[in-house]
Amino acid sequence: MAGKKSTIIGKAQKKIDGIELVTGRARFTADLRFPQMVYGYARRAGIPAGKIKRIDKEHALGIPGVLDVITASDLPGPNLIGILPPFDQPLLAEEEVRYAGESIALVVAETRDIAKRASLSIVAEIEPLEPVLTVDEALKPEARKIHPHGNITFSRKLIKGDVEKGFERADIVVENTYETSFQEHAYLETEAVCVVPHGDGRITVYASCQSPFHIRGHIAVNLNVPASRVKVIQAYTGGSFGGKDDVATEMGCLAAIAAIRLNRAVMIVHDREESIIGSNLRHASRIHYKTGATKEGKIIAREVKILLDGGAYASESPFVTMKTLIHAAGPYNIENVFVESTAVYTNKTYCGAFRGFGVPQVTFASESQMDELASELEMDPLELRLKNALKAGDATATGQVFRKSVGLVKTIQVIDGKRKHVQSKKLQDEERWLYGTGFSCLLQGISNGAEGIDVVGASVQVSQDGSVLVGVGLSDMGQGSRTVFAQVAAEVLGVSMERVTVKQVDTESVHDSGPTIASRSTTVGGMAVLKAAQEVKNSLVKMAALMFNTREEKVVLKDGFASLYEDDSARIPLDKVATAAYWNGFPLMNLAFSKAPDANYDHQTHQGDIYIAYNFGTHMMRIRIDRYTGKVEVLKHIAAHDLGKAINPQGVEGQVEGASLMGFGLAHLEEVLYDRGIIQNPNFADYAVPGIKERLPTETVIIEDYNPTGPFGAKGIGEPPVAGAAAAFANAVADATGIRFLRLPITREVILEALRGKQ
Amino acid sequence: MIVDFNLNEKDYMVDVPPDMRALDLIRDVLRLTGVKEGCGRGECGACTILVNGKPFNSCLLYAVKLNGKKVLTIEGLAQADGSLHPLQEAFLNEGAVQCGYCTPGMILSAKALLDENPSPEEEEIEEALSGNICRCTGYKKIVTAVKAGAKVMREKV
Repeated sequence: MAGKKSTIIGKAQKKIDGIELVTGRARFTADLRFPQMVYGYARRAGIPAGKIKRIDKEHALGIPGVLDVITASDLPGPNLIGILPPFDQPLLAEEEVRYAGESIALVVAETRDIAKRASLSIVAEIEPLEPVLTVDEALKPEARKIHPHGNITFSRKLIKGDVEKGFERADIVVENTYETSFQEHAYLETEAVCVVPHGDGRITVYASCQSPFHIRGHIAVNLNVPASRVKVIQAYTGGSFGGKDDVATEMGCLAAIAAIRLNRAVMIVHDREESIIGSNLRHASRIHYKTGATKEGKIIAREVKILLDGGAYASESPFVTMKTLIHAAGPYNIENVFVESTAVYTNKTYCGAFRGFGVPQVTFASESQMDELASELEMDPLELRLKNALKAGDATATGQVFRKSVGLVKTIQVIDGKRKHVQSKKLQDEERWLYGTGFSCLLQGISNGAEGIDVVGASVQVSQDGSVLVGVGLSDMGQGSRTVFAQVAAEVLGVSMERVTVKQVDTESVHDSGPTIASRSTTVGGMAVLKAAQEVKNSLVKMAALMFNTREEKVVLKDGFASLYEDDSARIPLDKVATAAYWNGFPLMNLAFSKAPDANYDHQTHQGDIYIAYNFGTHMMRIRIDRYTGKVEVLKHIAAHDLGKAINPQGVEGQVEGASLMGFGLAHLEEVLYDRGIIQNPNFADYAVPGIKERLPTETVIIEDYNPTGPFGAKGIGEPPVAGAAAAFANAVADATGIRFLRLPITREVILEALRGKQ
Repeated sequence: MIVDFNLNEKDYMVDVPPDMRALDLIRDVLRLTGVKEGCGRGECGACTILVNGKPFNSCLLYAVKLNGKKVLTIEGLAQADGSLHPLQEAFLNEGAVQCGYCTPGMILSAKALLDENPSPEEEEIEEALSGNICRCTGYKKIVTAVKAGAKVMREKV
């Protein structure tokens, strides 16, 4: 079906929503206007920890144009967000403030300017508490408890084999501690929601988000209304990367409460500063690695201890903790593994989902350690990786065995084949420039896995004119999943891309498919579309067979026609077939589900089958460093990923290039800086999002090791390159300078200081 | 205060408060929402508009400053019949758009460059787009798109 002749699968496709985006016609949430719409703006705590004594609204309420000031005591429901257990996060802080960016009140006013100014007129008496600002402080037995259950958010162990015995047999052991810092999503569109009440008890929510059903569920709970009365429409979303989940839920609930109180449409749009201080970040981490190997370079034991600074609330810390646990051993076949991962509360902005979900942090540490081990063994870094690489039939760190689609070795080989050419380039001005090459290997689990249920519902509907409507409960935040879904349906039904429409996600028209995370859209979502399309195809084929007066097996759908296998010239336009199918009562719509197999998983030892597939990759980065200024130039970056099948190769390249630059930002440029619990750089002047001059010369190499659990063999690619690029950069810097940097970001200043120290 | 200006080939006379930003005049009063706000501090370029052919961050520009000027936003770029500008085509074809939030500003900055310099070197493209942040694409395809658009524009002349 998707054979060599396909003009859709495996061919570069333009984004199906691209025209709206290049013409400025796409409506993002903040672009919307409704009659009598008013604006909400949150008052934030301003201090990292304290007891709320009094919040005085009077002054703010007296300002002309101010309609309402909402505090925790005004909330009708349980005052709860926190999208996962332990559900520890309030919409508005009630008794205690736990981070400086936390909302304590919402002002609603006729204009956004008035709301913003009035928010500062609220008198908030907060008795400061000594903030708990570091993981070390938080873990001290005498530390003040940030939450009643203590300062440990979540802690788990992974136990495979016997790591102690493994180390006893090791000829060589390397050990080190690595750190990474907080990273901000920095999507260009800040968070925005708009809630429109309808007067009959129903409300419509427009949101920039990645999990519309989370928003619906939380609004229902916090307003005490049936979820069926809440319709959440995902507006065009200007990037999300894991970020517009919890915060969109918080804003959606607050705007909905205000909208019901005032019976007016309420819009909340974040400033850039609010977006940085008031929504989740990537976890900072401290990771201790110990790796034991034989003198031949076979790794036989790996022990990893991970501490994640999760900030003030749990958010997705539990799942990020699990993800670090599962990925810490790296993409290697290691007999004995012990990992302990712990997320800790501090009085800082909460951390949660961010593209990669903990994997970039452990991959940086793990791959640094691989190079240190290679150096101890006097072995080539790629050879060491190849020697230990997971292959089909090997057991991962959780003991899961994949018989198919383990393409790591191919990614290493392709990089190995290219490196000689890259490294043989003549070096210029070696007196000034230090040259270095870094490698990294990685794996990233695809699907929610045993961390949660993974089901996607997709509908495919064929109209009498033969056009196709697809609805999937997963959000396109820019990554191009709608285009992939259209490709899958077009391929199955034999129509052109122009004949397929993919719904804007709204909770009334698509099935709840959980959050859009874990690089699962193409794999799990695409599979659901495939199944639904096949069901509808069956109706069309059945009808066409009747019209041809032949057997169903002889009918093929392609190029907008039903035709006969043996005789292409005998064909009926698809609209005729669809119309006839309609009049014969054959179903032309189907809702199908793609469900990952039930995980067979031991949550005590973290052993068992967890994901439906892994993406595997190898990166190489060639850099040079100006020894006098620390300036880094990336000369070459090759990212080879086994992604099963590239449904839209141009989209794949876009994901690899964009995710790689995000990883490079984490490794070299970006850091959310705190001083006594207050973020010091909540803007793009002081927080260094990579600009066009910092772009990477990324070359994407697509390896296709067919994955039986994805549509046409595909696996996701949205997250994995972040880890690959970050780790390869760190190793390239070490290779160039001879200095092993143990903390990200390795900025120009850090490099320069180290080079000076070395002299 | 009255602002008398030309926006996307149409003349407007609007009474605006003296402290209104050009961004708000265009978005909220005239309701052309292709111009985006990303930071409100001139740091991201999402609100780029062309004023007499030169790119400006409309969040840092008072609306009254548009008086007597000719302004172009992304809505004015395609032909009246809907056919796209070569840069819009190129951004689409080359995959230079992901979420699309930076795209209007990015395309306008590129247009300002190409109107002045039809055959820019890569460094000149970098310089011209250095005020526009994109978090999705990694910029590589944006540079390719600007080159592709430039080629089509040169051939059209």
